Amino acid sequence: MMRAFAFLICLLAGTFVATAHGLVVFASVDCNVITVEAKFSNGNVAQKGELRVLDAEREKLATMALEQDGTALISLDSIDHSEGLYIEVDTGGHDNYWIVTPDDIARGCGS
Amino acid sequence: MQVMKRLSLIFLAVFMTTSALAQERPRIVAVNHALQSMAERIAGDTADVLFLVPEGVDPSFWRPSISDISTIQSADLILLNGAGFATWIDRVSLPRARIVNTSSAIAERFITTESITHSHGDGGEHSHEGLASYLWLDPELAAEQATAIANAMINRDLAPEAEVQDRLDAIHAELSELDSELRDTLADAQDIVFVATHPRYQYFAQAYELEIVSLEWEAGATPDDSQMSALSALTQKQGAKILIWEAEPTSAAKEAVASMELESVTFPPLAMPNGDKTYLETMRAAAASLAAAAMKSDME
Repeated sequence: MMRAFAFLICLLAGTFVATAHGLVVFASVDCNVITVEAKFSNGNVAQKGELRVLDAEREKLATMALEQDGTALISLDSIDHSEGLYIEVDTGGHDNYWIVTPDDIARGCGS
Repeated sequence: MQVMKRLSLIFLAVFMTTSALAQERPRIVAVNHALQSMAERIAGDTADVLFLVPEGVDPSFWRPSISDISTIQSADLILLNGAGFATWIDRVSLPRARIVNTSSAIAERFITTESITHSHGDGGEHSHEGLASYLWLDPELAAEQATAIANAMINRDLAPEAEVQDRLDAIHAELSELDSELRDTLADAQDIVFVATHPRYQYFAQAYELEIVSLEWEAGATPDDSQMSALSALTQKQGAKILIWEAEPTSAAKEAVASMELESVTFPPLAMPNGDKTYLETMRAAAASLAAAAMKSDME
């Protein structure tokens, strides 16, 4: 009985360990604001992380911290977004990015 | 003077018509060279097919620029490979109506790759599983991808249906013939263990019942001592005598491998162009090299 229980525990632990959890970054544009969401692919919200905003030449324009719910808001008023933006998120263990094109920004404001 | 004026007007009219026609050609973007070459065959001269990944860059891990994504967003058709190929597609907004996943009809035939267990941060040991994505190395699956491309072009009126269908039929006939040839060529290689420097050949191995175990070496780089030790241990354990490279190795790498009594075979997996060699030429040459190496190792 104990052996079967131990086997079950091992099986469950193995399943947990094998769960993939790459970081998923998503950004959507709503006129003057880009909303960034970062979560792990197992569904967990990325509660901590640094967000970097880069221009088309990959020059850093801004950095900010993720909120506890894994989101961040980027105000487009304060940065030059004419050539599009790279948004990078780094949680320390995982990192990923999202690309926002000038068309994405134009579409995001209904034009 | 009047004649000159008339000639100028005619020249201008011809130029403008040609320019307009050139601009009207639909643009198709492919995420790898295999899909690009299929799309070029199927489209003929009715569309421009773009493959934006720079030479020498692995399209699986290409990080596009913003202007690349703008070009892709404005394409009439975006050909995805599926099975997790091209990680950038999950990091951008793409117009759904113009996306074609060329492997959606064969998803049940995907091969799950071994997970890579590693540890970093405070997350403990964990792994990232994936799918083998070099589907086109099995000619039967390549035919399915070609069908998906042709259907997408027809459904979106990007090329005349009859022409597309004729070209697709020709591709299917070629792939079927290739499949038979490879089956014959590789028939005696099925009891040989091959080692590949990178996990690219899962669908090829499955199609021709070959045993190919894989390493994770960087293409074009000379393996270091620890990689050579791992290769030595693997070949001893598996009894492998043949090493498959995805790109021509450096002479130092080739010599190091030869000193372990391993035969080197180069098999470009066609995610990137293989010089000016076509898919059929590359596949035939690779199969012939593998068969020759297998025969040699059998005689030793």
